[in-house]
Amino acid sequence: MASSMQSTDLPVRDLPADVRSVSDDSDSSNEEGWEDVEPEDESQPVVGLFSNTIFPDLRAMLKECKEKNGFDLVKIQKDLGLDFLDTIKLVNYVRSEVKAGNLSPDVSTKEKFADDAYLKPVLEDDAVLYSLDDITEEQNEQTLPGTEAERKVLELQEELERLQTQFSEYRLAVQKSLDDQLNQEDKKLEPGENAKRPVKDRLEDADTDYFTSYSYNTIHESMLKDAIRTDAYRDFVYENKHLFKDKVVLDVGCGTGILSMFCAKAGAKKVISVDNSDIIDRAREIVYDNGLGDVITCIRGKIEEVTLPVEQVDIIISEWMGYALLFEAMFDSVIYARDRYLAPGGLMVPSHATLRVAPYADPDFVASHVSFWNNVYGFKMDAMKMNIHDEALVRHVPTTSIAADSAVFLSLPLHTITVDELTFLKDFKVTLSEDVDTLDGWAIWFDIFFMPSADSTVPENVVAADMQKKGYVAFTTGPFGTETHWQQTICLIDYSKQESQPLKKGQVITGKIGYQKKEQGSRLLDLSIEWQANETTKGAQRWSLQ
Amino acid sequence: MSEADAANASGVIASSAERMVGAEHAEVRYFTSYDHHGIHEEMLKDDVRTRSYRDSIYQNRHIFKDKVVLDVGCGTGILSMFAARAGAKHVIGVDMSSIIVKAREIVAVNGLSDKITLLQGKMEEVHLPFPKVDIIISEWMGYFLLYESMLDTVLYARDTYLAADGKIFPDKATMYVAAIEDGEYKDDKIGFWDNVYGFNYSPMKEIALTEPLVDTVEMKALVTEPCEIITFDLNTVTTADLAFKVPYKLTAQRSDFIHALIAWFDIDFSACHKPIHFSTGPHAKYTHWKQTVFYLRDVLTVEEGETVSGVLENRPNDKNKRDLDINISYKFDVEDPTRFAEGSCFYRMC
Repeated sequence: MASSMQSTDLPVRDLPADVRSVSDDSDSSNEEGWEDVEPEDESQPVVGLFSNTIFPDLRAMLKECKEKNGFDLVKIQKDLGLDFLDTIKLVNYVRSEVKAGNLSPDVSTKEKFADDAYLKPVLEDDAVLYSLDDITEEQNEQTLPGTEAERKVLELQEELERLQTQFSEYRLAVQKSLDDQLNQEDKKLEPGENAKRPVKDRLEDADTDYFTSYSYNTIHESMLKDAIRTDAYRDFVYENKHLFKDKVVLDVGCGTGILSMFCAKAGAKKVISVDNSDIIDRAREIVYDNGLGDVITCIRGKIEEVTLPVEQVDIIISEWMGYALLFEAMFDSVIYARDRYLAPGGLMVPSHATLRVAPYADPDFVASHVSFWNNVYGFKMDAMKMNIHDEALVRHVPTTSIAADSAVFLSLPLHTITVDELTFLKDFKVTLSEDVDTLDGWAIWFDIFFMPSADSTVPENVVAADMQKKGYVAFTTGPFGTETHWQQTICLIDYSKQESQPLKKGQVITGKIGYQKKEQGSRLLDLSIEWQANETTKGAQRWSLQ
Repeated sequence: MSEADAANASGVIASSAERMVGAEHAEVRYFTSYDHHGIHEEMLKDDVRTRSYRDSIYQNRHIFKDKVVLDVGCGTGILSMFAARAGAKHVIGVDMSSIIVKAREIVAVNGLSDKITLLQGKMEEVHLPFPKVDIIISEWMGYFLLYESMLDTVLYARDTYLAADGKIFPDKATMYVAAIEDGEYKDDKIGFWDNVYGFNYSPMKEIALTEPLVDTVEMKALVTEPCEIITFDLNTVTTADLAFKVPYKLTAQRSDFIHALIAWFDIDFSACHKPIHFSTGPHAKYTHWKQTVFYLRDVLTVEEGETVSGVLENRPNDKNKRDLDINISYKFDVEDPTRFAEGSCFYRMC
């Protein structure tokens, strides 16, 4: 949400489109909507045969090929009597010729591309190959004379079955050749995987969704435009080129590859970039376009499952931070990568994180978010308030809503922390810096530090600004810093069962704050806070972070 | 709209959904499914929307009195309650989503349980307690009017349940396009990918150019007169009509550059005693629908009085009916060869 940070300059135009689409079009836009929620058909962008242009679909691409390059795939297919596998070979043949610089490959005879080597895709996940059957079907439909419809339908069904079989065979062939080539599994190419996603339990679904969500532009745009975040990584890498020179670097969750490219520019010998979302295909193109293809290797998959081309790495760089730091649990994967691949004495970038909590008092926000439901166009909608306090909210908190200096409740030294330590219950203590009518809740945020060696430490209770003054790279996602896309996390206190009491400046509040994964392996997080100011103002509550 | 309004408007949806910017819809649904409040809060707080429905119902008590009303996609039940308060004999609210559970509580708390029956399920599958209804009310509109809209469900309800002389609220939707000067934002959204921290991100730019933006456009950005492209009369429109190919012609009101076309829609409740109308255009008060921006690959240099013409084609994606495939062709036919421009851009709303 980088651009919306400059909210005074760019008032409205900068919310990414898909944020808006979240709110959808009607009251009913909820998890089910009006139609069946079908497994989303992950359509790969279609890359042109003669250029790197991305097309919305195969038809548009073929049209362009025909018009600009005089290459009419459908006609060639027909003239040469190509079957499905022949057509696959044709596409790969053309791609390999174009790649070699020949923009007018010889397609006069079938023999030119008869070699089975052309069954191997030139482009990984080449959407053209996967949509060829559509074109063939379309052709059949178009040439269907209406009068013979019934007979043709049967023929078409047979044809379709035949094509599907061929297609499955092709997928198997591809899989086998890739297996041979990479000596690793590539689950994406399993036959039928695209056809129908099996019904999974919700947890697995959430996991899949998590990865697909990162394949869209907008989220990458908002992250790249979060200058606090991206500048910090850039500054650390470019200001410490000596650390990166000739080193092997692993980028966990590389996204568009920006951190990998920083490292490559800083002199890394090799950068391995891993991401399990479709964005890896764009990252690969971007890396190539920037002439860094020989330094950076992009690998698609979960870090826990992929085989890296090296045994060890010297540096792990990752932007793994989620809401309230640990939401999305990507950090578990970073810890896995560290324990599995980081050489002794190797460097984690960033190296330290701290989590902070502060009391929150913002009657205006509570009024607009909670009291709103008391009277909606003359109707009582209290039912909408029922679970309103069960969810932590992600919002930009005005500094005026923070009623005390924040307290650190967890320090995370990235070189040593373990996954077990990410589930915790910690004490905290804050002292109100102003009178409040009501303690409305708690605000949570984090600071991130980039120290130059595995042995570096950061003082307890340090804030990002202190380390910046000492010349280190660090940033805060707190309300007193420049806004970041992480915003702050708000946990509102439910006063439906207890009366709220005013509290005076100087009042000490002690408590315990806990993080717990919703279920084993879940990316969802539960937060719990217990607090006590005095005999009347105390409580305990649990929030989920969705 | 004022900046304060804008900040409020964006703040409302800045919940869990926000981190999911750019997310797949199934996934957005998944993640926001718990966040009932955010979505419904935004809907209800869209005052232009909710007030228009309220007025169209409350000002027409004589039309609603003793009638059987069907609310398609009732959500929190607000429209059903308006209709009940306006004297309807009975209101049936139908919604797929679990929000209906809340809606039932809300209806009960407001003492309208005997007037309103809420059914959870697909319109095509639920069993209505009345064979025919006199009035259908629905807030079905999506971005670009048709994106993820429920219009096809409303049409199904109309064909199945609406009595011969029945009324639909609203009953008319009109789409418009206009051209805008938008250099700064185009640079921010599209040009951004040319140089990202010193790197060439052109693969992302190609994708960005095919994604329409739902955004608030300021009136002063308009370079041309708006052009009405299509009107849907809900009494007669069919699902097939929702795929359309229509010409447009835009006349420049001033000399300027054109970076994008925008589209919006107006809604009419013409079954009212006194017709009620609202617009989601850049000249009107903010709504959560905002406008939809289509960046052109070319920048057109137009002079006052000159025209840009072309064809806008919209159809549901073959594979995923929820997605819209939109093609916009344009021709700026001027003598000056340095300013002449012609092209065609493809967009997908997904």
